[in-house]
Amino acid sequence: MISDGLRILRYAAASGFADFRTIYTVRTWITGWLFRVLCQVSFFALIGRLIDSPEYTEYLLIGNAVMIAAMESLFVVASTSWERWTGSVPLLIAAPASLALVLCGRSVQWLASGTASATLALFLLSPLFGVDLRLPMALVVIPLIALVGLSTYCFGLILGGLVLRADSLRNVVGNLTMLSLMAISGAQVPVSVWPDWLQALSAVLPVHHGLAAIRGVLSAEMGFTEVLMHVGMEAIVGTASLGVAILGFKRFAESGRRSGAIEFGS
Amino acid sequence: MIRLALAMARFQIAAMRRSPHDLMALVNAPLFTVIFLAIVRYTGRDDLTGYAVLAPAMITVFAMALLASGEIIANDRTDGRLELLVASPSPVAVVVLSRIAMITLVSLVSVAECWLVARVLFGKAVAVPHPWLFVGTLAAIGLAMAGTASAMAGLFVLTRSARTFQNSLSYPFYILGGVLVPPALLPEWLRPLTQVVFLSWGTDLLRDSLSEAPVQRVLPRIAAVIVLGGTGFLLGAWLIHRVLLKVRNDGTVSHA
Repeated sequence: MISDGLRILRYAAASGFADFRTIYTVRTWITGWLFRVLCQVSFFALIGRLIDSPEYTEYLLIGNAVMIAAMESLFVVASTSWERWTGSVPLLIAAPASLALVLCGRSVQWLASGTASATLALFLLSPLFGVDLRLPMALVVIPLIALVGLSTYCFGLILGGLVLRADSLRNVVGNLTMLSLMAISGAQVPVSVWPDWLQALSAVLPVHHGLAAIRGVLSAEMGFTEVLMHVGMEAIVGTASLGVAILGFKRFAESGRRSGAIEFGS
Repeated sequence: MIRLALAMARFQIAAMRRSPHDLMALVNAPLFTVIFLAIVRYTGRDDLTGYAVLAPAMITVFAMALLASGEIIANDRTDGRLELLVASPSPVAVVVLSRIAMITLVSLVSVAECWLVARVLFGKAVAVPHPWLFVGTLAAIGLAMAGTASAMAGLFVLTRSARTFQNSLSYPFYILGGVLVPPALLPEWLRPLTQVVFLSWGTDLLRDSLSEAPVQRVLPRIAAVIVLGGTGFLLGAWLIHRVLLKVRNDGTVSHA
């Protein structure tokens, strides 16, 4: 049973990576996508120069580099609804395999690309902005960046399940989520500057805890237990999101079967 | 000709109302404003409030030029409208430019949108001590952006590789256009490049129009925006002409 599930996930992921290869070659990923990512992180890090604060430049550079992993993982919102265009949703629902399992594995290419581009942005731009990441200790943050990407990916799956019913909103939902996370997760300003209710919301959303752990490791000012606590919280947010997403996909399949409107998204 | 342009503008409004994707930048604008104003408030740099309000507006204007205007011809081709357009007696360039002009006009609504976010959510009313300069510069930026958008609309059809890089154009342009950080604060090796980006002249002028101090060298700076934008228009008209020649010659009006 478990091996069947893993096999389905593997095939779904292979399909996602095949999609990715039709969008990018290695050359266009580097000259197109990675270049844009470096410019995006630089754009925000330059605000530190406008403010004339090297400390704040470092804060923005780290926050926005990590946000890249979240941003790319959120492409799952749009790519989940691509199944509508290809007409594969009715086939997936008719198949004996779980729709949720397929859709969970179908967009992992964004998670891989997001982790790679965020990591490269962090390590390539830091010297340019005079930020000392204290290598090799800083390499510890790479799995943490992947964790932020993974928890955001799981959260994006919830939204992907919702936009399967409203395909035209796929990009709007993905973008609004990304900008909201960028605003309240601690990427641009400390979470403490927001009202209590926004802080509480941020704490149950992805990025917040993972980014706090990454900042803690890079500054070497956070104890191991505290880092571990943030990592655990980020993992819990991701796991809970995955559970909700799976329930959402199941509901989508059931309601589609009942109403016979799987093909048309209403 | 004017009737055609007005009809196309009305068509574009109707099309945008049915396409959330085209209006996405206007939905994003308030969140960008919140992010930039939060930074200004956190760092105690209230003097940069005007920067934080102008930046998301300029991001919106460019994003709509890139995503909505830039895709006009490509979408017409995909949806099968280009065939009808090429067969009709109406000049295609007028049709495309009228629609781009309407998108640019709608994108300028973001200036009021961002101002309102600052006023309502942060209690900051950005004053405009040089209102005529502000309006004149916005008009020049609008014209130049429409010119740039027409060039992109042609380019995205002529070369498939350009479409691959479409999403990559935004942030490099925001940096070189001095959208938030003035070109003077960029690394020295980048500054010459900003001189050929019309937006860098435009955003500098807009920021100056928010300051009480007298603004220096207004005419040459506005002229720079218009000349660089006009170059975009000429390039756009030429590229649209090339697109039509190519799809007619290749027999690929209705498919890529």
